[in-house]
Amino acid sequence: MKRSRSLKLALMSASVLTLTACDNSEDVAIFETLEQCVNQDGFSREACEANMQSAKQEHVRVAPKYTSAADCEADFGPEQCETAPQQTTSGGSVFMPLMMGYMMGNMLAGPSRVATQPLYRSKDNPGNFRTADNQKVSGKTGLSKAPSSATKPPTAKTRTVRRNGFGSTAARSAGRVRSFGG
Amino acid sequence: MERITIKERDDWKSQAEALGFNFHTMYGEPYWDESACYRFSLRQIEDDIEDPTGEIEQLCFQVVARAVESEEIMAKLAIPEFYWDYVRASWLNQDRNLYGRLDLSYSGTGPAKLLEYNADTPTALYESAAFQWLWLEQALEREIIPAGCDQFNSIHERMVEAFANFGIAGCLHLASCKGSDEDEGTVRYVEECAVQAGLETAFLHIEDIGIDPNGHFTDLDDMGIATLFKLYPWEWMMTDEFGKSIPESGVTFIEPAWKAVLSNKALLPLLWEMFEGHPNLLPAYFADDPRIAELEGGYVRKPIFSREGANVEMVRPGEPSLSVDGPYGAEGSIIQALQPLPTFEGNHTVIGSWLVASQPSGVCIREDDSPITKDSSRFLPHVIYG
Repeated sequence: MKRSRSLKLALMSASVLTLTACDNSEDVAIFETLEQCVNQDGFSREACEANMQSAKQEHVRVAPKYTSAADCEADFGPEQCETAPQQTTSGGSVFMPLMMGYMMGNMLAGPSRVATQPLYRSKDNPGNFRTADNQKVSGKTGLSKAPSSATKPPTAKTRTVRRNGFGSTAARSAGRVRSFGG
Repeated sequence: MERITIKERDDWKSQAEALGFNFHTMYGEPYWDESACYRFSLRQIEDDIEDPTGEIEQLCFQVVARAVESEEIMAKLAIPEFYWDYVRASWLNQDRNLYGRLDLSYSGTGPAKLLEYNADTPTALYESAAFQWLWLEQALEREIIPAGCDQFNSIHERMVEAFANFGIAGCLHLASCKGSDEDEGTVRYVEECAVQAGLETAFLHIEDIGIDPNGHFTDLDDMGIATLFKLYPWEWMMTDEFGKSIPESGVTFIEPAWKAVLSNKALLPLLWEMFEGHPNLLPAYFADDPRIAELEGGYVRKPIFSREGANVEMVRPGEPSLSVDGPYGAEGSIIQALQPLPTFEGNHTVIGSWLVASQPSGVCIREDDSPITKDSSRFLPHVIYG
């Protein structure tokens, strides 16, 4: 047969999807506290502290941000949010979930491509740690595997200074053009 | 290969609308047309379309590999010098590509001839991958076509597979221009493929993309864009104001920048120069080449950047020349030997041959009343039978 075997025409809910087998995984270490990290065989106190510190800094930068505490708690649960140091442009408060742990490379597995980062637990799936980009990683602390897509630096909320910098060529050549593709 | 008149499904319009395929009729004229379909033999599909498509893709790769190492060729492609290193790096890094469509002239016998390659922003994807597939299933079920009919169309499956293998971290942003239902519909379908591959996605219009103080692109929620599918041509990105920020933006673009070499009519003379005489290629030259005088069977002049047949001029021996107006042409033109499209009951028929992740994955048929396929062409389904 030279055609697709089946074709789902409706949008599927993202929650039923699992990671594909082709995705590479990385060796990671997940900790909730500095002590857990220090007690892990082969992990030095120095490295544990440095990584925790860098995860905390990332936390401020990359944690999901909300303009109301209620919206944040709706996603992360009651009393699971804190006030972020950022403010909205009009001076309002910004809220973000509490950092529940951090992920770093497994120091025993050689050079690591894992970006050290904070982890969260969402209200709808408290059994798993999630990255700031809402990628699911292990539910347990200690050594584990995580998909390589979850171990990259999270994308961050930033500040837009200008828009409308793309599209002007299309606007100039519009007119009777039905599609800008072809 | 033949054109067969068949019964339309009486409810196809309501189905199209329920699925969001709103551009099935445009300017009051039909675009989706199932009053007929094209029949191919399996041999025609496999030997004359599928295999040559894969082969042409390999030839194209050789052109890209050569072009990115040559300032002379990059200049002929009208790629601004500012982007030469960037395009070269995207090729050397083997940035992955998602899809493309070769337009072929093929009548059922003899080799299919490459007319052009929509490598960067091809549309007609949804109707090829999904609506055509649905038509086949229902036409079989309702006995409109005989049992045993198949279709060369694994586009959807391949798209989902390609997204799953792309290694996209975090959110995939997808963008099209404001003001085109057709483009937005195409991008919404691409988004659906990505979602079915397990990706997190967000749609925005290309005009709404922002930039932060560090030169990173942002979405409407001020989130950084890491991966962007854009149904917007590279040559326009490169002339837009934000273009200058692309090389340092860190964004993974789909299609990657090296597709700018292929989605360019200058590809055609470059292919001919490197693989002259290849059965699936037509003689093609840059506009200042004296060999144009040797094209006794007529020729077609195509602007380097042009879409939907705009600004194409056809010069035919013993007949008045034909041309289509449009906004393109400032960057120069190329000349391609005339290979008139075959006609079936008065319709000029072009075959679109799809590649997903560089694998031949399906075909689509468009018909036009004129020998130049334009944006008023009609889309007809096809079957493989016999």
